[in-house]
Amino acid sequence: MRKRLKKLLSTICITMMAGSVLAGCGGSSSSNTTDTKSSNGNEAVTLTFGSHQSGLPTSAVVQNLAKEFESETGIKIDFQISPDAQWRDLLKVKLDSGEAPDIFCADADPLNLVTRVNPEKYCMDVTNEEWVKRMDTNVIPSISYKDKVYGITFPGKKMYFYVYNKEIFEKLGLKVPTNYEEFKNVCQKIKDSGVTPIFEGTQNGWHQVLPLFETGAMYQQKHQDLYNKLNKNEVDLDSVTELQTVISELKEFANLGFYGDNYLSNSVENAKEAMANGKAAMFIGESAWRNEVKADFPDFDINKLGIFVMPWADNQAIGVNPASNAYFINKNGKHSAEALKFFEFLAKPENLQKRLDGQPGLSEICWPEIKSKYSKEDQAYIDSLQKGMVMQAGVKYIDSQWMDVGKDLEAMYTGSSTPEDVLKTIMTRRTEQAKLQKDPDWNK
Amino acid sequence: MDRKKLYPWYFTSGALIIFFLLCFLPGIIGILYSFTDWNNFTDKINFVGLKNYLEIFKGKPEYRMYIWNTVVFTTVTTILKTVVGLALALLLTQKVIKLKNFHRMIIFSPQVISYLVVGLVFKSMLHPQTGFLNNFLKSIGLDFLAMNWLTDLTTVFPTVMSVDTWKGMGYIMVVIIAGLMSISPDYYEAANIDGANFWQKFRLITLPLLKPIIINVTILNVTYGFRVFDMIYSLTNGGPGNATGVINTAVYKEFSKGNYAMGTTLSSILFFILLFLLYFIVKSMENKEVQM
Repeated sequence: MRKRLKKLLSTICITMMAGSVLAGCGGSSSSNTTDTKSSNGNEAVTLTFGSHQSGLPTSAVVQNLAKEFESETGIKIDFQISPDAQWRDLLKVKLDSGEAPDIFCADADPLNLVTRVNPEKYCMDVTNEEWVKRMDTNVIPSISYKDKVYGITFPGKKMYFYVYNKEIFEKLGLKVPTNYEEFKNVCQKIKDSGVTPIFEGTQNGWHQVLPLFETGAMYQQKHQDLYNKLNKNEVDLDSVTELQTVISELKEFANLGFYGDNYLSNSVENAKEAMANGKAAMFIGESAWRNEVKADFPDFDINKLGIFVMPWADNQAIGVNPASNAYFINKNGKHSAEALKFFEFLAKPENLQKRLDGQPGLSEICWPEIKSKYSKEDQAYIDSLQKGMVMQAGVKYIDSQWMDVGKDLEAMYTGSSTPEDVLKTIMTRRTEQAKLQKDPDWNK
Repeated sequence: MDRKKLYPWYFTSGALIIFFLLCFLPGIIGILYSFTDWNNFTDKINFVGLKNYLEIFKGKPEYRMYIWNTVVFTTVTTILKTVVGLALALLLTQKVIKLKNFHRMIIFSPQVISYLVVGLVFKSMLHPQTGFLNNFLKSIGLDFLAMNWLTDLTTVFPTVMSVDTWKGMGYIMVVIIAGLMSISPDYYEAANIDGANFWQKFRLITLPLLKPIIINVTILNVTYGFRVFDMIYSLTNGGPGNATGVINTAVYKEFSKGNYAMGTTLSSILFFILLFLLYFIVKSMENKEVQM
C-alpha cells in the first residue's frame, strides 16, 4: 500500500515538474494578443497597445478614439501603460524577447530610432500607406530608417519654455529674466516671498534633463557647425563650455533651494497643481501645457501663465525638436493587419481634428491639413525668437542616454557627484555607445 | 533497506535532461557569452577574453559600487530578517500570547503581496511631503524625525533594507516557528527542573536545536539578497543617482542599453559569488550537525 502510494506520488511529482518546466517555456512564447469569440461568431481580435505615460495624452483621447474604432470594426484595443522612467528599457527588453505588444509607442527621432526599436527587425514597413504622404515632411525622418517609413506620429514640433505665473511676477515687481543673473535674482525674490520659484520633479527621470540639451540652439550659435563636428567625433561635449555652465547653474539653483525641498521626490504630474495653487512660480513645459492645467483646474485662469525662453547660460534662443513619440506596429505580432487598420482610422481627417481638440496639451499636430491652436500672443512671441534644433535631435548618442543623464543629475543634486563628473559621464557614455554600435568615426 | 527495490538510476534521466537543457546549459552559455562583445547592434560576436571582467573590476567605479551595495544589502537584510524573525517566532510561541495564529497571519501577510506593489505603496507612504509616514511623525510632534526617506543619500539604503525586511521577516518567522514546534518540550521541562532561566534555555536548548533551520533560513536570505531586483527597482529605481543600484539593476540596465555581454558578465559574477558563498554555508551545515 505504502509502496503504491509512493509510486503514485512520485509520478504526480514528475508530471508536475515536467509540466511546469514546459509551461514556463510555452507561456513566454505565446503572443500577448488574446482572441475571444465575439457574439456574431467571428474571431474578435484584441490588439495590445503598449506605451509610456507621456506617450498617450492624459485626456485619454487615444483611448476614446480606440473605442470608436472598436464600435466601427469590432477590433478591441487593450492599452498597457508603463511609467515613463521604465518604458524605454522595458520596451527594448520586450522587443528582444519577442513579447512586444501589437502596437507600441516609442520616442522617435532621426538619430535614435534604430537603437530604440530596431525598426528593420521589429517594426512593420508602412512606407506605401496613403496617410504617410499627408504627414508633415519634417517629421518623416524621425519615423524612418534607410528610406523606409515605419510609424505614425501626431504631435507637432516641440518647444520647451519656462511657463511662469504672471501674477506672482507682477506682485513682486519682477520682469521676465533674459540672462542667468537676472534669472537668479528673480528666483531669489520669489523664494523670499515664500513661494517655490521653480517646480522640478526628478521622479519621472527625464524632465530635469531638458535645460542641458533643449538649449542646443544657443550652442550652435556659439560654435559653428557644432552638431556635425560632434557627430563626426571631431570635437567632444567638453568643447561646448556652455553645457558645463548649464550643469553647474542647475546645481547652484538646487543649492540655493530654488526647486523647493522635495524636488527629488516630486513627479512632473504634480506640477499642474503646484502652479494652479500658486505654490510654485515657474515650470519647464511646452506652451500648450497651460491648457492641461486648465483641464485639471477649470477655475484657474490660464491667462495668468506666460512663457519665456530658458535663460540657462544666458540662452535666448529656442530649441525646436521635430521629433516626438510615434506609434509602431509589431511586425512579428499576430495582428499586424488589424493594427494597420487602426492607424488608417487614426489618420482620417476627422479623427486628426478630434485628436488635436481632445488633447489640451497640444498646440499643433504634424498633419498640415489641421490648423494649429497657438494664440496670437504666443505665436508672436515664438516668431520673434531665434530658433535652432535641440541637441538630442541633432547629435548622436545623446537621446539614448537621456534617462541616465537624469540619474546623473539626481546624483549631482544629492551631492554624490560634481557638475564636472556629470559632463564626463555623459561623454564617456557617448563614446561607449558609439563603440558598441561600431561607429566608424569612433573606431579610427 | 532493500536496495533492489529502489528505483533504477535511469528514472532520474528525464528530470536530469530537462534540468541540463533548461538550467545548466543556458547557464554555461551565459558564462561563455561574458567573454564576448555580444550586443544588440551587430550579429557578429567576437571573443574579447577578460575585457568585460576587467571593465567591471578596473573600469567605471559604478560597477564596484553595485557589487558592494549588493553585499551590504544581503548582509544587513539577512541578519535583520533572521533576528527579527527569530524574535517574533519566540514571541508568538509563548503561552501568554492570545490569538497567536491571527498575529502570525498578520505578520506573514506582506509575504504574499507582490514586490512591485509593496514598492509602490511604500514609495507613496514615504513621500516627504504627502506621504503617510512624515505626516504621522509631524502630527505627533516628532518633526525632526520626518526625513527625505528615499532621496537622502544617508537614509535611502537603510530605508530600502527596512522595507525589504518588513516584507521578508514573516516568512522567516513561519519557518522558525515550525522549527520551534519540533523541539521536544522534554528538554525545557528538564531545564525547568534544573532551575534554568529564559536566556539559559534559549542559549543552550533553543539555539543549538534551531541551528539547521537557521542555516536554511540564511541560505534563503543570502540567495534572495544577492538576486534582489524588484524591491529596489520599484522603490528607488536604483536612485537617487545610482546610490541604491545593485547587481541585478545593473544587469537590467546593460541589457536595455543593448550591451548584452556586459549584462551576462555581471550575472556571471553574481553566479560565482553565490556559488562560492553557498559552498561554504552548505559545508558548515554538514560539519555542525547538532549532537544530542
